[in-house]
Amino acid sequence: MSTHHPDEVLLMEYSAGTLSEPMALCMRMHLDRCSQCRGQLDMLNSLGAIMLDHSQQASRVSDDLFDNIVAQIDSEPAPREAETEKPSHDSPLERLLGSDLQELPWKRQLADVSVYDLSDRFPGDERVTLQKLCAGGRAPSHSHHGSEATLVLTGAFADANGVFSKGDFVILDHHHDHQPVALHGEDCITLSVMDAPVKLTGRLTRLLNPFIR
Amino acid sequence: MELIRSSQTAAAKSRNVTTAPDSSRAERSKDHWSQLLERVASHQDRAAFHELFEHFGPQIKYYAISNGIAHQAEELVQEVMISIWRRASTYDWRKAAASTWIFTIARNQRIDMLRKIQRGSAEMAIETEDLWQIPGDDEKDPVPSLHRIIAERRIRDSFEYLPQEQLTVLKQVYLEHKSHQAVAEDLDIPLGTVKSRVRLALGKLKVILQDQDL
Repeated sequence: MSTHHPDEVLLMEYSAGTLSEPMALCMRMHLDRCSQCRGQLDMLNSLGAIMLDHSQQASRVSDDLFDNIVAQIDSEPAPREAETEKPSHDSPLERLLGSDLQELPWKRQLADVSVYDLSDRFPGDERVTLQKLCAGGRAPSHSHHGSEATLVLTGAFADANGVFSKGDFVILDHHHDHQPVALHGEDCITLSVMDAPVKLTGRLTRLLNPFIR
Repeated sequence: MELIRSSQTAAAKSRNVTTAPDSSRAERSKDHWSQLLERVASHQDRAAFHELFEHFGPQIKYYAISNGIAHQAEELVQEVMISIWRRASTYDWRKAAASTWIFTIARNQRIDMLRKIQRGSAEMAIETEDLWQIPGDDEKDPVPSLHRIIAERRIRDSFEYLPQEQLTVLKQVYLEHKSHQAVAEDLDIPLGTVKSRVRLALGKLKVILQDQDL
């Protein structure tokens, strides 16, 4: 059970389908692990249906539309069992990567930090990365120009705001000056979606930093 | 006891559904549209499908137009209706009202359509339904059905009492495909004001729990 959740405004954007693909992926991965947010999403989806029902301007459709739909249904084979088959148990991210997280060609950026860049799998300007902080490792102190959505995939990290573990979702922005430390025992891998690069605040500024393009 | 049971069975028969007596209370809460979907699923019932089309078709067309894809509006109606036909057997009334299920299908088809237009022929790295799930497609716990039905009724009842300014924000997000940022720009108000209107509205509809409920 997660303890850090997206806020209701973000959940509503997800329900309405206005989030970018990488943000939707973060939300989906959080929802998979959070019954509280799933319950809230159910209500938001209901709200969407009610709004649609209330829109008085429902538009008249062409007279032949229904016939066309039926014709298309008739031209195709009856729904097969395959279409109702349950999808595999892999997470959407695993299906996207087609590989185990540990097997990815990680790029080591600092002693404790490795990065795998996924930005080119998505349209848009967001920077989408997987970040790995090795067990017990420490990332340089930094804050954020824009905002960064982070979803914890494995392990856990802690910073001044608390402990973030598997399934937790957090938005980091310029209010957070943080220096994450991975807990011992397991590498902490996060999925991160950034709408602007971060600025370094610590002494490690001069080092090549994974967060800066 | 015997008498009650037999009258329940008779009631179940008269609705032409076979159901265990202990679920009959919930069964009665099943709305008309859910029953139509079940007829589509069980007998490919075209009359039921036509009734669903008559009700939801114009809504979906309006949804497409308000979302700025007027040129593909009927194409969206067609895609959504075909999807409803094909997937009716996966619909589970305990997990979502029929209208909610159809809303999520329309939303996904709209997203899918826009993604395809954006991408051209390039392959999508991830399926729309991996990003946005349709209720009932997973094994996860549904909201207990009666609780959900009551909550929905509450949303429906309080919806029309929302102040216009809150309603406008919700409409722009749900029906016009605008982020909160875009709503703020459109209405020329600060983003914080948009977010607080959303929170106030969701609080009134009890979509989000108020502090006193926790």
